[in-house]
Amino acid sequence: MKFGIFYELSVPRPWDAEAEHTVYMNALEQVRLADRVGFDQVWAVEHHFLEEYSHCSAPEVFLTACAAQTERIRVGHGIVICVPEFNHPVRIAERAAALDIVSGGRLEFGTGRSATWTELGGFRANPDDTKKSWDEFVHAIPKMWTQERFSHDGHFFSMPSRAVLPKPYQRPHPPMWVAMSSPGTEFDAADRGMGALGVNFASFTETEQRVKEYRRRIQSCDPVGEIVTDQLASVNFLFCHPDDAQGVDIGMRMIRTFQYMAGQLDMAKEVFPTRSYPTAGLLAQTRRQAAGPGDERGAPEGIAVGNPGQIVEQLKKWEACGVDRINFLLNAAENIPQEQVLASLQLFADEVMPAFAGARQPAAVPGGGS
Amino acid sequence: MPVRGGLDVSEALASAAELASLNPQPWELPGARIVQASLEIVEAPAEAAIPPALHPSIPPYATFTVAQFPESPAGAFNLAQVRIVARAGIRPRGFLVGAVTNSEQAAEALAAGWGFACSMGEVTLTARHDQWIGRAGRDGETVLEVVCRDPQVINGSDVDLLDSLHLVRHDGEGLIVQVDPEYTYREASRGAAELPVFAPGAWGGAVHPAWPNVAVAVVVDTDLPAPRFVMDPNKLAIEGTRRLESA
Repeated sequence: MKFGIFYELSVPRPWDAEAEHTVYMNALEQVRLADRVGFDQVWAVEHHFLEEYSHCSAPEVFLTACAAQTERIRVGHGIVICVPEFNHPVRIAERAAALDIVSGGRLEFGTGRSATWTELGGFRANPDDTKKSWDEFVHAIPKMWTQERFSHDGHFFSMPSRAVLPKPYQRPHPPMWVAMSSPGTEFDAADRGMGALGVNFASFTETEQRVKEYRRRIQSCDPVGEIVTDQLASVNFLFCHPDDAQGVDIGMRMIRTFQYMAGQLDMAKEVFPTRSYPTAGLLAQTRRQAAGPGDERGAPEGIAVGNPGQIVEQLKKWEACGVDRINFLLNAAENIPQEQVLASLQLFADEVMPAFAGARQPAAVPGGGS
Repeated sequence: MPVRGGLDVSEALASAAELASLNPQPWELPGARIVQASLEIVEAPAEAAIPPALHPSIPPYATFTVAQFPESPAGAFNLAQVRIVARAGIRPRGFLVGAVTNSEQAAEALAAGWGFACSMGEVTLTARHDQWIGRAGRDGETVLEVVCRDPQVINGSDVDLLDSLHLVRHDGEGLIVQVDPEYTYREASRGAAELPVFAPGAWGGAVHPAWPNVAVAVVVDTDLPAPRFVMDPNKLAIEGTRRLESA
């Protein structure tokens, strides 16, 4: 089991001159500590226009700062949006390769397609097309990285032969992931030899089933790149405190804040009737979790809030489900004071991580693939 | 904290419908035809037109709807509605800012039972293979023309017409009542949203269309059930919503 941290970079109103700066600086301080104490990855989303919920529209910039201020922690695009109205695939490949170089080969490359109307409508993207453009992009980008010159005649983009530069530091290329939101996305990941990056809050039962299907399908995958990333990550919240009741209380406050902010987003499905988004995506999952069964401590099942012992118990269940990695959200709208977030990270490293073999891993070296 | 609506509720209640009962006799509405367009709208006036109980949607948008009900307890009637989409807690709802119907009998019953503040006018719906067109007019002047252009068949389960919220007066207090019909889809299509005619002043002045989202054209069996939830217009929906005992 490996542990990572995951950033939406939520910024509560009022948006004075310091608000966004504070959120970014606090996150970077957390990343530096996470690197020192043995977290394996830091992921940052690409979101646009999502007021308060996420002010992380240029994750490659944030992740470059993360890389520059750390030594071992891997940096994850979680995820870059593979929709032409948002990003040209050549620009995605170029930026990702440059990030891989400056991080010394520490890039994890997550892909996805956006799930909100706020974003899709803002870029005037057609929700019917996003799965198709994602597929075309994820097949093309590894070729841009591995072929000296690349040309393409496709549906969503075409280009004559050009050298797409720079090439990634990791050879043949960084591990590739796809955001796993609605049920069935794990098949998309497995069939293409990509890691499945959980971005919702599924139950143990649902996760176990999805892991099982993923493992089965990836055995017969047709990889989009030159390596297979046979890994499944889930997302969770983290607030670790010596006193369990306080940990649950503070952690649940963060979770409720996150869910309330997430609940303000206009999901694609809510505005634009389409088969392309069979469920409301991330939000449906968080809402269900919010309404789901809680334990006696007042926290929903599987959520990593409370004292170290309770968190170990919850994470062991995820490990038993077959999850390879867990990425934690540490805060929402700066609901938890920075010193408490840092203390939570430190306590987790001291008392939870040792219970999991392989939690502390050296950073991957170039040429190692996944 | 997300932005909240800025409506002066006490002032708005003066023109709200008077709800006779919180437990009206439900209506069955079989074979209804509905054309609904969704368009993004200008933020500031829309935010000022929804009560503090609600958060404006991000981005702000409104639904423009014309429905034809061939059967109801009040006889056949047509109804045009304009709703600003807002969040009640974390759920999207359409806050009614104006309605026009062509039936006096329906208007009275809709106001007393569910809080539709309807004005009387001419409301028509024309369903063609190349477009569905809904029109509403008052005093001989068209105040809404909504079009679903080039409708393509989709699955009805993909359509969400959204539940409604109506500001009402009842027993001397102001309430928001939620109207949440069931829909069984006989036909559903999706097309481009167009609004060739829209007179903001005829709909309260708060809705100013900016960008089209999408339109749907559907044939449904639907209903108007007894309300299940009401909320305090001035408290956030997560704090001020209560389930009705009759529900």
